[in-house]
This record gives sequence, structure tokens and C-alpha cells, in this order.
Amino acid sequence: MSRLIEFKNYSMGFRDEDGRVHNLLDNICFSIEEGTAVGIVGESGCGKSMTSLSIMGLLPPSVVIQGGEILYKGTDLLKKSKTEMQEIRGKEIAMIFQEPMTALNPVHTIGFQIGEALKIHFPDTSKEDIQKAVIKQLELVGIPNPEARAMQYPHQFSGGMRQRAMIAMALICQPKLLIADEATTALDVTIQAQVLDLMKRLKESGSLMVVTHNLGVVAELCDEVVVMYAGRVVERGSLEAILDHPLHPYTKGLMAAIPTMTSGDEELYTIPGSVPNIENFEKGCRFSPRCEYCLDKCKDDVPPTKQVDDRHYVQCWLTFDGEGADYDNNNS
Amino acid sequence: MGRLLLLRTSKGLLTIFVSITITFFILRFMPADPISILIDPKMGPEVQAQMIRRFGLDKSVPEQYFIFLKGLVTGDLGLSFKNQQPVIEIIMQKLPWTLLLLFVVVVLSLLVGIPIGVLAARKQGKFADKLINFMVTLGISVFLPFLAFGFLYIFAYYFKLFPTGGAYTPPPKQGLAYYLDVAKHAVLPSLTLFCSHVASVVLYTRNSMIDVFNEDYIRTAYSKGLNEPMVIRYHALKNAMIPTITVTGLMIGTMVGGAVMTETIFAWPGVGRLIYDSVSAMDYPVLQGAFLILAVSVVVMNIITDLVIAWLDPRIKLGG
Repeated sequence: MSRLIEFKNYSMGFRDEDGRVHNLLDNICFSIEEGTAVGIVGESGCGKSMTSLSIMGLLPPSVVIQGGEILYKGTDLLKKSKTEMQEIRGKEIAMIFQEPMTALNPVHTIGFQIGEALKIHFPDTSKEDIQKAVIKQLELVGIPNPEARAMQYPHQFSGGMRQRAMIAMALICQPKLLIADEATTALDVTIQAQVLDLMKRLKESGSLMVVTHNLGVVAELCDEVVVMYAGRVVERGSLEAILDHPLHPYTKGLMAAIPTMTSGDEELYTIPGSVPNIENFEKGCRFSPRCEYCLDKCKDDVPPTKQVDDRHYVQCWLTFDGEGADYDNNNS
Repeated sequence: MGRLLLLRTSKGLLTIFVSITITFFILRFMPADPISILIDPKMGPEVQAQMIRRFGLDKSVPEQYFIFLKGLVTGDLGLSFKNQQPVIEIIMQKLPWTLLLLFVVVVLSLLVGIPIGVLAARKQGKFADKLINFMVTLGISVFLPFLAFGFLYIFAYYFKLFPTGGAYTPPPKQGLAYYLDVAKHAVLPSLTLFCSHVASVVLYTRNSMIDVFNEDYIRTAYSKGLNEPMVIRYHALKNAMIPTITVTGLMIGTMVGGAVMTETIFAWPGVGRLIYDSVSAMDYPVLQGAFLILAVSVVVMNIITDLVIAWLDPRIKLGG
């Protein structure tokens, strides 16, 4: 297996109106192997979406990249020119966005919008072939009567069908990596299940990066999990490691907050407090104000990333079983 | 679709009817007596009485109104008080001149205004945008006659580049020379009207373009690998054009009634100048005719604008 995407100490922040830069993503390290699915989880405002937009090179104008690399097949995406990124977007890496209601252009037909990527990346394709490919994609994502549906506009589609059209749009060039940013959040559960099935089938042809705060989606789809908190990767590892043996107090809290079949009438666990605003990040561990195991040094010093198992890493000052020497971010 | 169009047309006819009725009564309630202008004191009393009868001024106002409506249905707008020509003929003489001015101004405003609006939106907050905004504010708020006199002073009087007024140098020349002469006369009035219209086109294009740039579907378009010119052309312009088209439609509708001040300053023989002259001469029938043309063109342009917008945006259904 080779690494498709690798984040190496990637940091970015926002420039505010006074010109000061506030760091959000701090030394992000994780990788996505070919043919696997990685889930990025965390509360809202943890920088999950910024991580995926960083890969796409579609960050808002106020963003400042502060360092590190995002390697795609070994070359740094951050160093690529505008035109090189345009070549990659849609063809090599595609993205499904959160809002199926607003992410489609209301004045173009579904068919036009799905076929567009094919038209740009493979300009020699004939109109008929594009039309055929569009209909095939629509069929693939389970839209009945695709010939007629391709001629319709987004407002004639239901939410679930729009999200499926979005998936068809992202997949038409058969990308190596599909980023799904909260792709199922806006859908009701039955449609969610259908979309999840669809994404599961994708793993056969490429890698998947699932950005979500729904751990159920992660358990369903992913091989590896990256847990983010306030712009840092606090824990990452295999699905089993994270779900069954969470180590970081934040991951533990997340797991405890999921209702299960056996949970009775007692109140569900909640992590006290909420994600801090970007301007109020702690100097040391950003989770420390909400952490029940908080030590003195947690407040002042950034915790080290420790390797506790083959592919299980945790960024915390606490001591864990199986903990090796401090894992150095620079050798990932 | 056909039914809706019928509905819109009948609504439009009602609007026109209300508009001309108001015009008719406002003119009649003006504290002035057209008879005193119409009648030459040197005329004999019999001739005077005959004139007054001929124009129906001996009848009561409601009677005059019904005579006017009856004429309207048969396409007869009556005779001008001033030169006793049929009103239709007078208006048809003036209308092409106004339409010429209008065509030039609208086409130029769109051709120049849309790209500038797009540029301002792309450079939002930067120097280019600020400069464009400043010019737009100036263009919208400037008092048109002031601008007209400014142009007259600079281009006609000081540099002697263009004629000071009229639509051609009498006597009219033949062939190409005539068209060139007209074009030369049209430059300054067009420029004056262009300045204010281009400003609103820029303003509406810029503002709706900025709104559209922030839409999720623009990000989707970029995520497919489109470059900026393609995103603007295929995904932003069509959506952003709707307010610009609405304002252009309204602009065309009102401009058919002529740009009264601009046409008067440049002695341009259009409908606007006709309205000005007819007000001075208390020429009721001509004024009624001119306002009828105005009402009809506003209503027609509204229907056309709605059709164009419905064609651009599939979500809009043509309803009441």
C-alpha cells in the first residue's frame, strides 16, 4: 500500500482585520493509504472542513498557510500552481459538500453539472459520450429514470437525490480520492443509509476521506480514524483502536457521549464546555480547560505526540500503556 | 404558459387604462386654459367657436373623456392643439429618434457596465473596486442637465468636436453622409444618458455578482477543476444577471417616453423634447399620446423582462 495523501506538520491560520494571524490547524500529521477510508471526526469548529479544503486548495482568502506539506502521491500540493491544482481538482481529487440544497447551481440542468468535469478534464470527449457517462453515473448512484432526470434542474430534485447527484458529479472522472465533507448530515436516515452504501462501494476504486461528527458513519465506512480538537490531531489510529481503546480524554468523552442499545434512562455523558474560539486557544493543550485529567503542564506546554501501538498515536501529557518514546512529528 | 401570458397582458392593459385616465384628468385639472393659447384673439368669434367645437373643448370633462376613450379604441388620438396634425403622426415622427438614442445607450451600458461590474466584484474591497464604486456613486447622483451642460461646454464649445444640438445639420444630406452626421449629433446626448445608466448597470452587476460569488455552488464549480473565467462565465453570470436585466427592462420602458431634460438640452427631436414642448404649449392631445406610449412601453418591457428572467432562472414560474 502506498500513501495517497500525507499531511506533514501542516499548519494554517486566519488573518483577522487587524492583520494578526490566528493559528487554527497546528502541526497536522496523518496519511491516507490507497484504497482505504479515513474518518476525520471532532466537534464543529475543530478545523475538519479546513483540513479538507486545504487538500482541494479552496481555502477562503483570509487563510494563511503557516508551514508543512500536504503530499499527494509524493508531491506537495501546497507548492502547485493554480493551473496544476485545476488539473487535479475534479479529476484526481473530488469533493462532496455538506449542503446538497445550495451546492448545486440552480440555473443549470443536473446533467450539465455532472458532465462538466468530464468536459474540462477530457476535452476530446464527444457530447454523446458525455451524455452517456452522465446517465451511467446517475444510474450508478441509484437515480431512477436517469435520461429524463438529467434534463431536470436541481429544484426538481429532493434533498437525497441532490446529494446523490453531487456524488455522481464528484465521481464522473473516477478520482483517486473522494473527500466527503458531512455528506450525509443533511439527509434523513433512510437516505443516509443509501448514500453510505454508495460510498462503501467507492472504496473499491479509490480512497475516501470522510469528514463528519457522526461516529456511526465512521464506524460504518472507515478503516482509520483521525480525531481532531481545536485544530490539532489529538488521536489517530485504526477504527478498532479508536472505538474500542480510546486513550485521549477527548476521544474517550466522544465515545461516552454516543447512545448505545444498552444505555438506559440515565443521562448521556457530555463533555463539559464547548470548543474554544480561535482567538482563545490555550497556550498548551487546547483541550485542557475541558479535560478532567488536566495536569499543570497541560496548560503551558503543547503535549507531545506519542506512539502507543503500530499505527496508534495520541497527543497528550498523560502516560499510557505501551507508550514508546515520544513520537517526533518530524518523522511521520 | 399561454394562459399566464394572457393574464399578464390583461393586467398590463388595465395598467395602461389607469395610467391614461390619470393623465387625462391631471391635464384637465391644471390651473390653465388651453383655449387662451389655442385661440388667436384676432380670429372672429365664429371662427373661435368653431375651433373650440372642433377640439371638443365646449363639452364637459366627462364627455371629453368618453370621446377620448372612443377615439383610443379606434386608434385615433385626436389632433394636436398646436399645429392641428394627428397626434399619432407627430409621435411616430419623434419616436424613432428616441428609440435610436435608447438603443445606443442601452447596448453601450450593458457592454461596458457588465464587465466593469464583474471586475469590481472580483476585486471587492481592493483599490479598483473602490475607484469603480466612487465613479458609480458619482454617475448615479449627478444631476443630468449639469452633466449635459458640462459636455456641451467641453466638447461642443471648447474643443468644437461635436455639434451643440439637433439630430442633423439642415438641410439633411444624402446617404452615408447623413448617417455620419446623425451619429455625430447623437454622441453628446448618448454620452450624457450613458453615464447615468452605465452606473446603475455596474452597481447592480457588482452587487449581485458578489452575492453569487459567496454561493456554495461557486465552490462546487471550483472543486470540479474549473478556472476563474469559466466559473464566472458558466456559473456566476447567468445567476447574477437577473437584477441587471430587471433594471435594464425598467430603464428601457421609461426611456421610450424620452429623456425629457437631456433631449431638451440637446434639442434632440425625440419624444422627451415633444413632451417638454407640449407642456409649454398646453397641447393636451399630444401629451396624452406621449404618456400612452410611455405606459405601453413600460408594460411591454415588464412582460419581456419577466419572460427573459423566467428563461434564465428555471425556478421562476410566470405567475400573477
